[in-house]
Amino acid sequence: MNELIPLMVIVPLMAALLISAFSKFNTVTKIFAFVVAICLPLIPLLSNYGLHYFGGYEPILDGAANMMYHPAITYSFTFLQQIFIGAIGLLTFLVIFIYLTKYRKVSGPYLFLLFLGTAAVTAMILTDDIFHMFVFFEILALAQVGIVAASSIDYSYEMALKYMVLGSIGSPMMLLGIGFLLALTGSVNVTDIAAAVHNGLVDATSPVFLLSLALIFFGWLYASGLPPFHTIKSGIYSKAEPHGAALLQSFTVISMISIVLIMFRIYASLPIFEVLIVFFSILAMILGVSLALTQTDFRRMIGFLAVGELGFIGLGIGLGTNFSITAGLFQALNEIVITALLFIGFGAIVNATNEVDTRKLGGLLAYHPKVAIMLLIGGLAMAGVPPLSGFQSKLMLVQASLSCGFPEISILAIMVSIATFVVFVKTYYTMFLKPKPNDLELEGKEVPRAMIFAMGVLLIIVILLGIFPDVVTNGISNFVGGIL
Amino acid sequence: MIEIILCIVIVLSAILALIQKDLFKAAILTGISGASVAVLFQVLLAPDVALTQAIVEGAIIPIFIALAVKKTQRSDG
Amino acid sequence: MADVQLVILLTSVALVVIGLYSAIFIDNIIKKIIGISFIEEGVNLFIVAIGYKAGGVVPILMPGMDTSWFATNAAYPLPFGLVLTSIVIGASTLAVMLALVMVLYRRYGTLSTKVMLADTSKREEYDE
Repeated sequence: MNELIPLMVIVPLMAALLISAFSKFNTVTKIFAFVVAICLPLIPLLSNYGLHYFGGYEPILDGAANMMYHPAITYSFTFLQQIFIGAIGLLTFLVIFIYLTKYRKVSGPYLFLLFLGTAAVTAMILTDDIFHMFVFFEILALAQVGIVAASSIDYSYEMALKYMVLGSIGSPMMLLGIGFLLALTGSVNVTDIAAAVHNGLVDATSPVFLLSLALIFFGWLYASGLPPFHTIKSGIYSKAEPHGAALLQSFTVISMISIVLIMFRIYASLPIFEVLIVFFSILAMILGVSLALTQTDFRRMIGFLAVGELGFIGLGIGLGTNFSITAGLFQALNEIVITALLFIGFGAIVNATNEVDTRKLGGLLAYHPKVAIMLLIGGLAMAGVPPLSGFQSKLMLVQASLSCGFPEISILAIMVSIATFVVFVKTYYTMFLKPKPNDLELEGKEVPRAMIFAMGVLLIIVILLGIFPDVVTNGISNFVGGIL
Repeated sequence: MIEIILCIVIVLSAILALIQKDLFKAAILTGISGASVAVLFQVLLAPDVALTQAIVEGAIIPIFIALAVKKTQRSDG
Repeated sequence: MADVQLVILLTSVALVVIGLYSAIFIDNIIKKIIGISFIEEGVNLFIVAIGYKAGGVVPILMPGMDTSWFATNAAYPLPFGLVLTSIVIGASTLAVMLALVMVLYRRYGTLSTKVMLADTSKREEYDE
């Protein structure tokens, strides 16, 4: 059923518009949002793999030059897209479920933003057209800003405006890079551009080509929050509502991998491309973990740890072999699930205590044992403790960097994992195990059931992926073989 | 010849908009720059883009900026 | 007669540089936003200039035109289509930024970014 491929984008987009138009009717909006949210993870599971040409314009074969041209915007749907869209759909469902159960009166515009962001990242990972990706990248930035600004946390507007000003510098740069590629090849279809570069129609060492790489790379750094944008990225996580932050980090991860895969297909022949990715990834790993160590606000801490984890994904893709890219993409999937689990778990603690400073917390284990245990397992998974899913992907990354002949990088990766473990355990100790401070009021505050349910679902995925990683890695490996 | 004059107008009005103390004047100069770009699009054989540009950058954006200035403060500083 | 495309490329570079300067160095937030709109304008101008063809015709096929003559003489329309989208995106981004500025002005009473977007750690003196 290839007709379902465009529906993955259209369903959340239409739902977003309808909800914001009819948000007066509270009960109807709630039921409608819930039904659509259930549909989101189901559509990619039911759909068949294949290509979808918008408008039905099939590719044209130029007999003289023996080249294919793609006149239509193309969506390609393979195992990789299926697994990531399934993950984001499930996460959107959980987040909307938490939101709907938390408030009696739901806000139409907020649901609009959540669905809009989901539609945008789905389109970004499906599309084979670099300008189409740029359009949804901008829509995603607007949705992210909206989610941050809609939260009731202090200084969220300031953070949203700051993110937006930086974004308005970053995204025209990316558009300029796309313009350079268009000037060189006359096309915005990634397959066509890659074929032109591969067949030597474009001089791969020309300054214009290098400049386009630099500009798109700058846009990618902004989209994925690698240095120098790590501070603002962790800032917007900490200023969003916890369930919103869980969704925001998954948007970041998916936009990161979809842009980097497109860049990889175009620029893989340039050696400097892989060096750049590895350099910025290592910088992100080190900065993320060392800044996380100094934070007293635990939401900020998780934000910096999430940035550090992004470095592992970049590392895998930058090494450039089949095994390492598979490891990087598997790490991306794990990060979406694990970081969402941590954000929701720490959000539950904020809900129950109204306190974000770790120095003022303590002794929560006795009051919220379920949350404590699930958070512990999530944190251990992030740090890479066997047999959880983070361990499998990090092991693959270490093996990949060893087999590429970079033992230094694998040592560094192990050290960063250990540092992540230390940061997490330190925060965990001060929040849950240390004796309770006398002025902390904890009586009579419950953690919402929906949050426990969402954490449970995510935890099951973490454990299953840790025990059976082959289910995912074999499929991803096949996909990577196709683009190399 | 017309495109060279237009280019000079665009760059000059952009610089003038940014050194202006009065933000209303800055908004109007943004509109002048946007409208000149629209004429330039017509010279570059893109009439459809020129129409959109004339409406959006020539009229809507200056009005947005002017409204924002009216709701906040007029002088820079 | 100077080369039209070259002049326009230089203009677009000038617009991007002016915009970048103001977006990074000017303190007033409204001027920063105006600078950002100049960056977008410069990029749009650049992309339209890619599709230009000296001595060409507007890429609209009118009745009675010979299609093969049209194919060799018309300007390249794909960049024009992209710019249409990008103009509208730029306008909507700008509108959202101005809305945020208006909300923040109510809280701080100034348009200076040094006050408005300062680090949260140095923020205590502005708290009510």
